Amino acid sequence: MNETPVRVRVTYAKGGNLRFIGHLDTQRMFERALRRSKLPLRYTQGFNKHLRINLASALPLGFTSVAEMLDFWMNEPLEPDLIRTRLTKSLPAEIKLLDVRLIENNLPSLQGSLIASEYEITFPDHLSAGQIENSLEELLRGESIPITRRGKSIDLKPMILDYIFTETEKNQPLLRIRMSSSASANARPDDLLEKMGLDPAECKVERTKLIFKE
Amino acid sequence: MAGTNLDLIEKILYHVEKPGRYVGGEHNQIVKDWSQPRTKWCLIFPDLYDIGQTNLGLAMLYQILNEREDILAERSFAPWTDMEQELRNHQITLFSLENKQPLSAFDILGFTLPYESIYTNVLNILDLAGIPLLAAERGSDYPLILAGGQACFNPEPMTDFFDAFVIGEGEEVVLEISSLYAASKAANQPKQTLLRQLAQIPGVYVPSFYDVSYNPDGTIAAIAPKEEGIPGWVTKRIVSVLPPHPRKFLVPNVEIVHDRMSIEIMRGCTRGCRFCHAGVVNRPVRQRDVDEIIPAIEDALESTGYEEVGLLSLSSSDHTQILEITRQVHEHFHDQKLAFSLPSLRIASFSIDLMRELKDLKPGGGFTLAPEAATERMRAVINKPLDDEVFFNTVREIFENGWRGIKLYYMIGLPTETMEDVEAILATAIKVQKIGRSILGNRVKIHLGIASLIPKPHTPFQWLPVESPDSIQQKLDFLKAGTRKAGIKMSYNIPDSTLLESWLSRGDRKLNRVILNAWKNGAKFDAWGERDNLRIWRQSFESAGIDPDFYSYRERSLAENLPWDHIDIGVKKEYLKRDYNWSLQGRTRPDCRGSCFTCGILEAFGDKRPAEGFGYWGCP
Repeated sequence: MNETPVRVRVTYAKGGNLRFIGHLDTQRMFERALRRSKLPLRYTQGFNKHLRINLASALPLGFTSVAEMLDFWMNEPLEPDLIRTRLTKSLPAEIKLLDVRLIENNLPSLQGSLIASEYEITFPDHLSAGQIENSLEELLRGESIPITRRGKSIDLKPMILDYIFTETEKNQPLLRIRMSSSASANARPDDLLEKMGLDPAECKVERTKLIFKE
Repeated sequence: MAGTNLDLIEKILYHVEKPGRYVGGEHNQIVKDWSQPRTKWCLIFPDLYDIGQTNLGLAMLYQILNEREDILAERSFAPWTDMEQELRNHQITLFSLENKQPLSAFDILGFTLPYESIYTNVLNILDLAGIPLLAAERGSDYPLILAGGQACFNPEPMTDFFDAFVIGEGEEVVLEISSLYAASKAANQPKQTLLRQLAQIPGVYVPSFYDVSYNPDGTIAAIAPKEEGIPGWVTKRIVSVLPPHPRKFLVPNVEIVHDRMSIEIMRGCTRGCRFCHAGVVNRPVRQRDVDEIIPAIEDALESTGYEEVGLLSLSSSDHTQILEITRQVHEHFHDQKLAFSLPSLRIASFSIDLMRELKDLKPGGGFTLAPEAATERMRAVINKPLDDEVFFNTVREIFENGWRGIKLYYMIGLPTETMEDVEAILATAIKVQKIGRSILGNRVKIHLGIASLIPKPHTPFQWLPVESPDSIQQKLDFLKAGTRKAGIKMSYNIPDSTLLESWLSRGDRKLNRVILNAWKNGAKFDAWGERDNLRIWRQSFESAGIDPDFYSYRERSLAENLPWDHIDIGVKKEYLKRDYNWSLQGRTRPDCRGSCFTCGILEAFGDKRPAEGFGYWGCP
């Protein structure tokens, strides 16, 4: 297997029932879909050969997304359209491919260059736009927004990079928010919702964009 | 109920562990339009999704039923306790994975009962579906509730809850049941009429049409049909030739137990091990041709993307083309980074040849040997003869071929067993370890698996008592101490769960009350062993006024009417009696491929035997 590896970058949407499938399970689901696709996949060398595949970022259980990304490698170049057709056929219906392209091998890894994510959050009907805005702004007026994750105390405040309140087509309040998503500072919208006194299960969260280092 | 509240389901899924168990959406899932008029089946495996989803029987029936335009088949599993709590708190009835429809909206619920420890889960599922538990309390407005699977060869403990049982293989009979149901529904017939017609289908047992009377000592006096036209006994169903293998397996999105695809290469077994339930109830032997097996693996891999394949049978080495199968597997799949497993190999150097073909595909893994007993005398009793010399030579060869791990499986609690036989198990394991070390050094790993005998219905041991937990515990303690000292890993069945399984598998109709009590007292997931279930079961026996020892510790007389005597597996009771007597004399019975011992299979099913072609049976 001496051929130059061909790197493929896929952007996809994850929704429906599949939002209840966690990160590792999503990765295995893609591995099997890739095997079904019969693309000329590249495996790691060594004793335990496995597929070379690299997901940009873990999407918390329950969230939908229209902006997930992954890289995988092949042994020979194929037309992106052909790759897309084969992959679409082999993926569960609730994964939608948005973009498939061949990229340079020397580009940095997705995980290594991811810095932030954008989310759209809608809220339960009984809450008014004013109530929601107030609870967020009150939080942001504080010194810090401390949360604990795996026994460690983290401050969410510096990880909230930008936000705007707007409305959905049905005139429901909608929060667009950008939060840090790097390996060292990974903010989760559900943590923020809990700090706002909301039940994340009552809200709908969709990841809309991944932002990478230039 | 008009349907399930999807929004509410989504909300509760945030609060349960591993919600992917409850949502379906797997690759190869079949979702048909619910609004179309069809006979709607829900196939239910009453254990966790993680355990049930890869069940081959479920996959076969799912495919067979869904191939028909006029039938829809969906799936449901037992929810784990956290999900159950959420469902109850929000008054959501248990639903199917595909269309998320409440179970009560289906025409037929088909439960798979592969083992007995999930009986209480059946009751829990019916309750979560808002369906009365007792068949007698369900009219035509409730689904028809059926059971099938290996545990149903003694259906008696669950007769109050099911409308009918499928005895034996389901591939053909499910379609007959479905057609009959559709016609009966179209004609608006009462449930009783439908049941009466169902009882006419060979292999279908409708327990409400039978009376059981008892002797003063609690044994059964008679089991007899209540009315004219109901058969006196029910003969199991078999398919004369194994139908085309399922290929489009569902690929779970969450990690589950045995997450691989299974290809059944052979059904049935001619070996006649006397403790083995599967070996006796699944006769006759039917093989799949290598020319069907290889394309089936190819197609299934293509449609699933699985990285591991299990080649299933009760005795792989006995497939007449087994060497050719492993050779072709190697030839076709060696460059695809796959792992293959081949269970139930005979202890002989031939098995090493087979495993060598598969081993090259993916290195690693161990070798499993199941002598079941460690002395030649005891192996004659259980009819699994093996020379010590052959055994140790095989062990030596396994190590010489580079396998570092050997798993050894033995049983305790066997008839005529003495401490000497148990000591021999430990001595054998230590000797295996020694042989390994002399060849490979200290890297060898020996694993000893110990099961205690549960004398199962329809086996030659069915009259035997279960050994008492104290005695079992004493033997286990001896083995545990010895293996610990030798650095051998040991696993074993907990005596408590052995006891529960013996009650449920060997019981009669009186057990229905006990099972109902146990469920009411909180028993469920009895196989998980984490809960304090045995105490609940003992209380449930007590409040039903029934002595559990009657089912476990009593040696039954050969003249006794057994609770499952009206369930005909094709093998005659007289044959089993003869084999039991031979066992006590230490007399073995050779593999019956060579010459027929008239077990009864050919008498019962000879007319279904294919005249020629590869589908021939193992019978001479």
